[in-house]
Amino acid sequence: MQYALLVYSDQSSWAELDADEAARRRAEAMPRWLAVFDEIGKADPDYSARELEAASEAKVVRIVDGERVVTDGPFAETKEQIGGFFLATLPDLDEAIRLASLVPASEYGSMEIRPIVER
Amino acid sequence: MTSAVEATFREEWPRAVAILTRVLGDLALAEDAVQDAFAKAIERWPRDGEPRSPGAWIVATARNGAIDRLRREQTFARKAELIARLQEMPAEEDADVSAIPDERLALLFTCCHPALGVEARVALTLREVAGLATPEIARAFLVPERTLAQRLVRAKRRVRETGIPFRVPPDHLLPERVPDVLRVLYLVFNEGYAATAGDALVRRDLCAEAIRLAKLLCVLMPDEPEAFGLLALLLLQDSRRDARIGRDGELVLLADQDRSLWDRAAIDEGLRVLRHAEALRRPGPYQLQAAIAAGHAEGTDPRLIADVYAALERLDPSPIVTLNRAVAIALAGDVPGGLALLDGVEGLDTYSYLHSARADLLRRLGRTEEAAASYREALALTDNAPERRFLERRLRELGRGGR
Repeated sequence: MQYALLVYSDQSSWAELDADEAARRRAEAMPRWLAVFDEIGKADPDYSARELEAASEAKVVRIVDGERVVTDGPFAETKEQIGGFFLATLPDLDEAIRLASLVPASEYGSMEIRPIVER
Repeated sequence: MTSAVEATFREEWPRAVAILTRVLGDLALAEDAVQDAFAKAIERWPRDGEPRSPGAWIVATARNGAIDRLRREQTFARKAELIARLQEMPAEEDADVSAIPDERLALLFTCCHPALGVEARVALTLREVAGLATPEIARAFLVPERTLAQRLVRAKRRVRETGIPFRVPPDHLLPERVPDVLRVLYLVFNEGYAATAGDALVRRDLCAEAIRLAKLLCVLMPDEPEAFGLLALLLLQDSRRDARIGRDGELVLLADQDRSLWDRAAIDEGLRVLRHAEALRRPGPYQLQAAIAAGHAEGTDPRLIADVYAALERLDPSPIVTLNRAVAIALAGDVPGGLALLDGVEGLDTYSYLHSARADLLRRLGRTEEAAASYREALALTDNAPERRFLERRLRELGRGGR
């Protein structure tokens, strides 16, 4: 089955860090992210993973009364925003849960597992 | 249902659903196929006689029916693949069903998967593993049949769409997954035992069903001491069923129960099962709860029972266990100690038993006014008729003796 593993975290707290500190934390977490890529790759060599630019850079588009309205910033005013995702074909939900719990963001943020609809 | 079909049904339903689920990879399709096969059995067995191997007949008929049903499907992406898998599956009408791998444990773990809501787990287990019909489950849980049918449909859809695996979890997952299964079986039992309303006969069936499922789990997991611990607990609790409610429909506390109404055979069986669990030398919460129930059945020194509650509290701490330990301490003679412990319990303010237990301890300490207030709080929190009758009588007695 195909699953999207969505990575959620509080991006504003990252933004508040100074550049050095942010770089240091990234470097610190890197081996664990690499381990996740490795594990997911074992389950599905064709998996994909993407990091998204901060939600503050997002544009939200709506058609209101036939008019296109473009606004800045995240769609929802929640603290945790989606910051990236994995797309992988995995044997079952148990494996998806196991892999999601290896992602460092499951500790400081959360992971959402969304099965891809099959038609 | 004719009795031959009925007997086969109870035995073979979960086996057939499990085998078909393994092949089809889909619980809903498997259930439909097995349902059709039993419908054919009801029609044919009385006329043609019961087949030599009823279980194998059901599996073979379900398989053939599933192939026919799939062929009629117009648009179904995996139609060809599923038909091929069904055709490959060994299914002779007179085969020995025990030769087919037993997938019932996988079925039980799938129905009790933590990704399903607790209500869905209970309903699914009763439908797929116990083989109860939707109206029976609906009656037992006092929900409209439609509601329960929808709950089952949604649960089966979730199993499919989220990819809940059909398997016995690997060893490293068992420690977290076995308790999920035990909990569902215990919930089924409790719904029948401590029911807040409903038909007594339906409730009794539900307890019997939980015991049957626990026995099945023991057969399927012979090395799991907690499965035996749960079975022992259910047997010992069930043994007191007839003594729990007095003739006037009032709840009777353990100490006041007529012991001649206890089911001696169930107690003996429970004690045997508990000894078997303990011989595996891996204690767990259900074994300790069974040990407490055994202590009550055998009239063990209340102080020992309080000690077992202390062990249970260390192993599986919860406010309910602390509450029970407090009551046990009071029963063992230390009423002020029990009350002090009980007053420290947090998070059970809306639990009527906390207030009735507290009322009882206050009454025994002669603190009549406070006891009456606690009985009233307990009354305000329960709709259970036998419990209400008991609390109302206690309250009346306080009024007479206390003022």
